[in-house]
Amino acid sequence: MTDGADHSAAPSRRPASPGLRDIVLGAILLLLGLAWTITVDRVVPAGRGFGIGPRAFPFWLGVGLCVLSSLLILTGALARWRGQAGPAEPVVEQEDGVTPVGGWMLVRVLVLVAGTIAAYGFLMPRLGFLLATGLVVGATLVLALGVRRPLLVLGMTIGLPLGSWLAFGQLLGAYMPRGSWISFF
Amino acid sequence: MELLLSAASDSFAPATLLAVLVGSLLGVIFGAIPGLTFTVAMALVVPVSFSLETAPAIGLLLGTYIGGMTGGSVSAILLGIPGTPSAAATVLDGYALTRRGKASLALGTAVVASAFGGFVSLAIMVFSVDFVASVALHFGPAETFALVLFGLSTICGLAGGSLVKGLIAGVLGLMIMTIGVDEMEGVRRLTFGTVTLQQGINLLVAMIALFAVPHVIDAFVQHYRNERVDKPLGDVRAELPRFRELLSHGWLMLRCSLIGTGVGAIPGTGGPIAAFLAYAHARKSSKSPEKFGRGSMEGVVAPEAANNAVTGGAMIPLLSLGIPGDPATAILLSALLIHGLTPGPMLFIQQPGEIYQIYIAIIIAYAFVLSIQLLGIRFFVQLLRVPAHLLAVGIIIMCGFGAFSIRNSVFDVYTVAILGVLAYGLIRAGIPLTPVILGIVLGPALEREFRTAMILSRGEYDVFVASVPAATFIGLAALVFGLQIFRSLRQTIKSARAGRQPEIPRHAAPDSNPKP
Repeated sequence: MTDGADHSAAPSRRPASPGLRDIVLGAILLLLGLAWTITVDRVVPAGRGFGIGPRAFPFWLGVGLCVLSSLLILTGALARWRGQAGPAEPVVEQEDGVTPVGGWMLVRVLVLVAGTIAAYGFLMPRLGFLLATGLVVGATLVLALGVRRPLLVLGMTIGLPLGSWLAFGQLLGAYMPRGSWISFF
Repeated sequence: MELLLSAASDSFAPATLLAVLVGSLLGVIFGAIPGLTFTVAMALVVPVSFSLETAPAIGLLLGTYIGGMTGGSVSAILLGIPGTPSAAATVLDGYALTRRGKASLALGTAVVASAFGGFVSLAIMVFSVDFVASVALHFGPAETFALVLFGLSTICGLAGGSLVKGLIAGVLGLMIMTIGVDEMEGVRRLTFGTVTLQQGINLLVAMIALFAVPHVIDAFVQHYRNERVDKPLGDVRAELPRFRELLSHGWLMLRCSLIGTGVGAIPGTGGPIAAFLAYAHARKSSKSPEKFGRGSMEGVVAPEAANNAVTGGAMIPLLSLGIPGDPATAILLSALLIHGLTPGPMLFIQQPGEIYQIYIAIIIAYAFVLSIQLLGIRFFVQLLRVPAHLLAVGIIIMCGFGAFSIRNSVFDVYTVAILGVLAYGLIRAGIPLTPVILGIVLGPALEREFRTAMILSRGEYDVFVASVPAATFIGLAALVFGLQIFRSLRQTIKSARAGRQPEIPRHAAPDSNPKP
């Protein structure tokens, strides 16, 4: 999927090296692990069961995360100390198949995708499957992706909800949400 | 016999056949389009299967699994881009054949080899799964815990370049599954007083978020970066190879099918390893190894037979022990659980009819996939031309609808949005997602069996080494962890001496992350 990517064009706002990145990641995970462990210790009762009650597993998993994230920090620090990280590079490393990108564009995309899914979830029980799907598809195409081909937008806005409704609702008998505000079926 | 006939009657019912057909079609489509792996398709299809009876639901899922595994060869041969990681080895000679003008024959041969591999692995599965299950029937909580722990040790094989990151991913998955009401004592854990969190993070919601959302994000990123992937697709169709030619590859197909089944039966391995092993074997045993990489048909037959044979192999530990070996079987396991089928030895006693349904569904799925690919190849060629960002819009809809239909809960859709973004963050941070899934799937069983064993033994830890199976599985898990730690340390020391970062071959960590 990332073939043909112009890596040189990737934004390079934040100089990073694998070592530094591991240290930052390890620190975040260590904080998460500490917060998790302390919260579990305070909130979850120990219970019965010869010391292995409902608290034991989440507690020791939190401890495990702390240990592993400390190891990550250590390996990151070692990599930097050995000077293996090399000169600061732009954030363009290939991450197991994701397209390299950085800065505001990524934030924008993340907010956009999460927002679209959340908005779809909000609208589905209110407008019903057909209307909510059409609305989200049309808005995503025009507003988020900047598609300006009317036939394509219209085709997808009408075709995708109808096709899904036919395939999943009518053919496979899946439950299609009806709207509490308005409903077409 | 009566059970078999009853299962056949359910499996050949129009609703079941339709479900297998839809699943196979979806699987082939998702498998054929680079980036849209069949694990994404399976995660999205599971919620749809809720409303179906057991037989059509099983058929839908198995069709998607098998269709996806086979469909990966389409783009591998036509574009030189594997549709799924399992088809990576097919690129080597498949694309070379396309450049030599033999795309149609390569596609046809790949389809036949795939079906052959699938049927061979199915036969082996049918004969071995019952035996493994009958052995596992005598397992108590301690043995089951040890087995699940061994299943979790496969995280090492799926960890990718960093063992520490792989283990972190596994721990994160296990942590996620501890949220909600504790099933043994009814105690609320980390619900913070909210009702919605009492049921915990739904397994399928997590799967949709982890597999599908990162793909959508990546497609949008590509769109904003104005990236275009050239897709020089000519007019192609699937051309069946001549019988004599097929016969000349018969022995190779059989050997590679055995490799695929064997590799598939080992949790944590999967299609890519099987395909590359088979490719290497074919090259080594070929009379004309110099043709490999330049368009050898053996180079297409071998990986395709092997990667499809993985499906039957992976079903052996799944059905007999309840241990999923890769993300696809993890999703399959969760779907079977939802439909009231608990994979493991008891399944063979309590629901043998459903076992037969699974076998028959696999046969039907292969028949459909074979027909779909032979007849509909031109349609898939057109599909490969659809821009990724437009497909992503469809995926968003399936993510939202799929998550909502699990419990008719808007909370689940919001969870998909949040977890999906976090999953993308994990991928960017180099943390593989497959161990997260493994932790999520196996976590509840790990905790339940451990605690049950402790209660039964009145707190004595030696219960985990008291029996031969328990001690064996714990020993195996320790061996896998130990070997991986040793390997990691050796590589670190080696690279420190050489003055460079440690390198792990990409294919050593198959499908360590879903390819968005």
